[in-house]
Amino acid sequence: MTSIAPFHGFGLGLRRTHYADFLEGDVPVDFVEVISENYMVEGGKPLRILEQVRAKHPVILHGVSLSIGSAHGMDHDYLAKLKALIDRIEPLWASDHLCWTHNSAHNSHDLLPLPLTREALEVVCENIDRAQTALGRVMLFENPSSYLTFPEDEMAEWEFLSEMARRTGCYLLLDVNNVHVSAQNHGFSAQDYIAGLPLDRVRQIHLAGHTPGEIVIDTHDREVCGEVWALYAETVARTGPVATMIERDDKIPPLAELLGELDHARALAAQRIAA
Amino acid sequence: MSALAQVQDAMLARILDEDLPLLPGWTPRHAAGLAVYRNNYRSALVEALRSTFERTARLVGEDSFERAAAHHVITHPPTSWTLDLAGEGFDATCAQLFAQDPEVAELAWLEWAMHRAFVARDAARLDGAGFAAATASYGDADWAGLRLRFVPGIALRTLRHDVKRLWSDRDAHLLEEVACCIVWREGERPVFQQVPLPEGEALSAMERGASFAEACELLSGLLGEDEAPAAAGAMLARWLAEGLVETLAQ
Repeated sequence: MTSIAPFHGFGLGLRRTHYADFLEGDVPVDFVEVISENYMVEGGKPLRILEQVRAKHPVILHGVSLSIGSAHGMDHDYLAKLKALIDRIEPLWASDHLCWTHNSAHNSHDLLPLPLTREALEVVCENIDRAQTALGRVMLFENPSSYLTFPEDEMAEWEFLSEMARRTGCYLLLDVNNVHVSAQNHGFSAQDYIAGLPLDRVRQIHLAGHTPGEIVIDTHDREVCGEVWALYAETVARTGPVATMIERDDKIPPLAELLGELDHARALAAQRIAA
Repeated sequence: MSALAQVQDAMLARILDEDLPLLPGWTPRHAAGLAVYRNNYRSALVEALRSTFERTARLVGEDSFERAAAHHVITHPPTSWTLDLAGEGFDATCAQLFAQDPEVAELAWLEWAMHRAFVARDAARLDGAGFAAATASYGDADWAGLRLRFVPGIALRTLRHDVKRLWSDRDAHLLEEVACCIVWREGERPVFQQVPLPEGEALSAMERGASFAEACELLSGLLGEDEAPAAAGAMLARWLAEGLVETLAQ
C-alpha cells in the first residue's frame, strides 16, 4: 500500500447544478471532490460527466457508505464497485467517514456516530485494514459531526482518530466545521480537539456551513461562518499547506459564490502559513 | 453478538421506529440527538423518492406524495448502500395506496424504469446491418433457435393508460386496449415507447429467453396465422432500428 503525498490546493465539491460550469468553462480550482456513490453505477451519463471533469481536474472520491464502524462487517459489493471507480478515475485519494451506516439488515443513509470504546476502535481498525487491502491503497477518514454521545464512551474522539490513524496507516480528512458542530453539541473545546490530532496525518480539510440551534446541525446549506473560518485559520497555521475545499449540498448557490468562499480560504491560508 | 453490534442494532431500530423506548441509560438529550438522525434518515429517503418520482409527485399532489413516500420508507426500509435503489417497489406502494387511480402506479413504474435505465451498463447495439451480417449464413434450424440479448436496463409492462400523455401532461387517458410500455436507453437518454400488447408479450418472452420461433408462435396465437409472420418481421426490424438489441444470444 502506498502513502499519500500532500497536495496543496483548493477545491470544490462537484454538484449537478454546476456540471455545465465544469464541463464548458475553465473553473479556477486545483481539484474537484465528488461523492463516490453517485458514480458507482454500471454506466450512462454520470460516468461520462465524471470522466470529462477528470480530464480537466484532479478528482477526489469522497464516500458516505463504506461504514467502517459497522460491527456487522464490510459490504463486499460496495468495495468492489468503489475499486472499479478508483481504477477508472485514478483519484488523488479516496475518503470516507468515521461512522457506521448499516447493520446486518438495513442502511441508514446517514453518518451514524460510534460509541468511542476500545471495542469500536478494534472494529474500525479491522474494517479499515480490509478496505485498504481490497482497494490496494490507503484512505482518508473524516471526523463526523455528531448529535449524541454514548454513555459507554471511553475516550475522546480525537484520541480515537489518532489511534485509528496510528494503527491502520490511514490519513485524516479534517472537517473543521464538524469539529465546531460537535464541540458546540457536546461541550468540548474545538481547539483541544485540533491540538489532540496527529496533524501530520491530515491530507485534506473540509469547510462548510451549519444550522445553529439547541442542537447544531451540519446542514451544508449556507456559507462558512466566522467561528469556523477562525478555527480553519488556527488549524492551517499548524498543519501548513493542505488541500482545502468548501462543501455545499443544499441551497446550492451559483458557482461564483462558492469560488468567492474558496478565495477567502486561499487568502486565510496564505496569511496564516506565511505568519 | 458483540456489544457494539447490539448498540448499533438498537440504535438503527429506534431510528426506523420512533415508538420504541429509549435505550437504558439514555436521557432526553440522547432522545433529541436521536431525533436529528431519524429526521436525516427520513428526509434523505423521501427526498430521493421525490427526485426519482417527480412526475408522480406532480400527478398526486405534494401532500399525497409526501404521505406515500413516508409510508414507503416505513414499509420498505433500505437494505442497499445506494440511495439509487430507495425507490424500488414504490410503484407497488402506489398501486396499494392509490388503488382507485391505477395511472399513479403506472407512472411511478415508468419513472422507476427510466431511472434504472439511466445508469444501466453501457453496451453496443446490434443494428439491421449487423444483424444481417450475423445471420447471413443461417439455415432453417438456426432461425428456429434465434435468440436475442436485449440492451441493459430494458424494462416493460402492460399499461391501461396512454403513457405519453401521462408522462408529458399528467393526463390519465384510458386506452381503448391494454398496451405495453418498453423502456430502454438511447445513448445517454432513457426513452420509452408504447406498443401493442402482442408485440409487448413477444418481447417479454424473448427477454426471458424464448426463441424467435417461440415468439412467432405466441404472435400466431394472438394475431392469427395470416397476420403473425409479417408482424414478427416488422417487430424485429423495429427492435433493431431502435437499438433494443445488444447482440444475438448464444
